Amino acid sequence: MNFEHRETWLHRVNPSVKLLAFLLYFIAILFIHNINVLINLTWANLFLLFAYSGHPYRRLLLYASPFLLIFISSSTAMMFFGEGETTWVRWGLLHITEESFYRGLHIGFRALNYAALGLLFALTTGPVRLFYSLMQQLKLPPRFSYSFMAAIRLIPIMFEEFQTLRQAARVRGGLSGRGPGAAYRKLRFYAIPLLAQSIRRAQRIAVAMEAKRFVSNRERTYYYIIGYSWRDALYIAVLIGSFACAWWIGTGWPYFDITDVRG
Amino acid sequence: MHALKVTNLRLKFPGAPKLQFKDLSLAIGRGEKVLLLGPSGCGKSTLLQVLTGLIPNSIEVPVRYDYLVIPESWGFVFQDPDTQFCMPYVDEELGFVLENLRVPHDQMPALIDEYLRQVGLQLEDRHTPISALSQGMKQRLAIASAIALQPDVLLLDEPTALLDPEGTAEVWETIRQVAKDKTLVVVEHKIDRIIDLIDRIILFNAAGEILADGSRDEIFSLYKEEILRYGIWYPGVWQDYVSSADYAAADRRGGDNKADAAVSAEASAPLIELEQFQALRGKRAITTVESGRIMPGDWITIVGRNGAGKSTLLLGLMQLVRTRGEYRILGQPAESIRDLSDLLAFVFQNPEFQFVTNRVWDEIAYTLRLSGSAPDEIRRKVDDLLQQFALTDQRDQHPYQLSMGQKRRLSVASAVVKEQPILLLDEPTFGQDAQNTFAILKKLEIWRRGGGAIVMVTHDLNIVRHFATQVWQVRDGRVVQYEDPEHYLGRPAADGSGEQDIITAEDAARREPPGEIGRTRSEAVTDAPREKVRL
Repeated sequence: MNFEHRETWLHRVNPSVKLLAFLLYFIAILFIHNINVLINLTWANLFLLFAYSGHPYRRLLLYASPFLLIFISSSTAMMFFGEGETTWVRWGLLHITEESFYRGLHIGFRALNYAALGLLFALTTGPVRLFYSLMQQLKLPPRFSYSFMAAIRLIPIMFEEFQTLRQAARVRGGLSGRGPGAAYRKLRFYAIPLLAQSIRRAQRIAVAMEAKRFVSNRERTYYYIIGYSWRDALYIAVLIGSFACAWWIGTGWPYFDITDVRG
Repeated sequence: MHALKVTNLRLKFPGAPKLQFKDLSLAIGRGEKVLLLGPSGCGKSTLLQVLTGLIPNSIEVPVRYDYLVIPESWGFVFQDPDTQFCMPYVDEELGFVLENLRVPHDQMPALIDEYLRQVGLQLEDRHTPISALSQGMKQRLAIASAIALQPDVLLLDEPTALLDPEGTAEVWETIRQVAKDKTLVVVEHKIDRIIDLIDRIILFNAAGEILADGSRDEIFSLYKEEILRYGIWYPGVWQDYVSSADYAAADRRGGDNKADAAVSAEASAPLIELEQFQALRGKRAITTVESGRIMPGDWITIVGRNGAGKSTLLLGLMQLVRTRGEYRILGQPAESIRDLSDLLAFVFQNPEFQFVTNRVWDEIAYTLRLSGSAPDEIRRKVDDLLQQFALTDQRDQHPYQLSMGQKRRLSVASAVVKEQPILLLDEPTFGQDAQNTFAILKKLEIWRRGGGAIVMVTHDLNIVRHFATQVWQVRDGRVVQYEDPEHYLGRPAADGSGEQDIITAEDAARREPPGEIGRTRSEAVTDAPREKVRL
């Protein structure tokens, strides 16, 4: 889960600032109906992702590959079956119109935007820094923060246990078979030990944390102090700048002469 | 002045038929080093939690007492190295403790380094992932976090139960260093490494009552029988077992068995033949066996350091990881055998992972039912195995409700039900108490003498010494075979490879007449200079 990467200025942006800016940006994109603007914005976000995530291109492409699928599936669904007046192709259920084509493309680009943004956030924000910042800037109760961080530690352990269970299933030789009965047996075979172990672990970790004098509702000092810096301002400036440029170029030099895909 | 004290403690777990403690009183003075001994389930760990207020503050269990002294500052080390930390990195975990104590931010790094130094964790970078540490190092980090609380009283709840011998030695050495001026309360079954540190022993019976309370030597001389019965790994327990009638009955070396085995080995064909056999992870060869044969009646112990690739080799033999090279079972290439589980039985380290049914009886019957055996035959075989593995009384229970030792026996019983000629086991005695260990070894020995072959990963050199017929040592990804276990155990300590199992090395260097084995080992480890222990 923790791959080698380069640290960029985006990693040093205050995670709370990043999270809030990210949410606002998310909502703003919902209100863009001009496909030209949206396409330009996509370029900007993809550029940020590839230039400043700090991860090598090959790995980025690997991470991004499912998003291509999202792009194709979300756009084609709308293209093939959406409403419209100017018919291009009609073949059985399939009905592609000019309007549905552009609307589909628009949805595809929106999905791609979200994917690029989300990936950039995930790749440049470590969970520990995020939760420390949420505690310090947004006053998230420590109880939640430390529980989340403890839970993250358990994921790789569960993964290993799952591997062992798969091997055990092969040794016992009997989890093959089809039908609902076999599916239920399989589910039970994997779920019960994994859940039992996880619950036990969670309980033990909670006790261990309290044995280390963890008390949630009390002022505490912090090992990491997450403050603000010029990078936060830069980040917000980049977001606003890319939005403005996308708008300016999209309206001044459009790819398509459509300004509102809603019709 | 007492560091810890409770009078007339009553405690009952919800749903339990009886009180766990009934009017228990106990006082521990400042600076005392106390060991709590007793059979598993007698409430020793629960008592530690009551004495620190973890019960009922963190774990809600109804509890009553007349008087309770909780120490002003205490540190607690738990059993499981994987469930004591909430942060991903070493420094962050210690930082978490310091945050709880409201230590100012700028003092933290220096304090963290200091605590790491005190427990002998010399890491290149304090920002090291906890997952990269060995289990023994994790426990030392747990001790460091306890020390960071600046405790007067240090409570240890079986801190080495889940560690290999090397980790165990590390941890006790660390505790020896840090606990000098503290009150120490220890619950532990493997006591041969710490016994010289303890000055008082409190012995409990199965009902949670104090059976005896006194100085170490007094308890050991007066209550030997109970200590043996409770399955405690006291110093010399192996020696006592080996001289017992039980071992003589199971031991092949007692009579002409070895000769018999040799004769029958010549007469019969090898069960397994390996030639340039490699077990892989991904595309990387983890363990290589250049040439190996496993004959009926063999008990092969696979030994080697943590992460050397012992388990991978075992998984390779079961074809659960990819392998290369030649691998024949009963003369047939392994690839061509449709169902390996007809010939090989496999027992995992954690028994819970291989249980597939809700009832002990069904668990053993499961594989037979799948292969379509007749109901009468299934009943006969299952009842037989239940009897053999002393599980008849538990036949209707859920496998998860069994005790540690019963779970282990059930996992072996359900694995061998098809009467496969070869049994592969991954540390079957790990974390088991002495009684359970000897019980399972005896079962295995009887099974082996019935003509089976056992291939077993273990860290326990006493098993190598008293049960193995051959040793395969995994070293630098290769298997070095010792036809005679004595050659492995007695090989010179300094062969310059740096790959020595530390305890073996010390053990071998100080080998004395067999009567002193247990004690020699404990001294060997504790007297060893720090570097050697950390090797």
